Amino acid sequence: MDATLDLALRWAHFLAGIIWVGHNYSNVVQRPTWRPLTAADLIDDRSPRFQALLNREHGFFRWASVVTWGAGVLMLSQHGWLAGAVALQGSLAPIGVGMYIGTLMMLNVWFVLWPHQKKVLGLVPAGIEERVRCSRITHLSSRTNTMLSIPLLFFMAAGSHGGFLLG
Amino acid sequence: MRHPYDTATGTIALGIALTAVLAALVRVLAG
Repeated sequence: MDATLDLALRWAHFLAGIIWVGHNYSNVVQRPTWRPLTAADLIDDRSPRFQALLNREHGFFRWASVVTWGAGVLMLSQHGWLAGAVALQGSLAPIGVGMYIGTLMMLNVWFVLWPHQKKVLGLVPAGIEERVRCSRITHLSSRTNTMLSIPLLFFMAAGSHGGFLLG
Repeated sequence: MRHPYDTATGTIALGIALTAVLAALVRVLAG
């Protein structure tokens, strides 16, 4: 049963992680260079840029971040590795670093990106200038997660295949 | 103000640099 649960958690971790981080990479590929939103983009909610923002917005990837994180922590816990990963002990140090990065990324989604995105989209009332300001923050927050996903994936891989890191 | 995150190349370059720094730290501290 433990092996079945481990496989199920690992599967959920990969699947949800791809949905979550894939959302970030889709954004990077489609719009590699930052182009500021303008007041005109936001005043008319039928403008192409506003519509593009709306089309990209959905809760699926935010909740995928929770599933990814939860499945990862449960996996570590089920193996009895959680305390060692948190303490970055010995061979658990690489996956521990991955866990810390993943935790930062999830917190970034929920406590930096999403509150500002709600203003940009008009889900929370805000003036146009404030919405334009928030759009810069959501961009930087999103790209922070794209950037962090690079070491995150390295340390996920290193958890199983990174013996060289430990000398 | 321009930021490395304003281009895909800058974002990925920062990610690779951070990976290298963290890998070196893990090797020194936990190896």
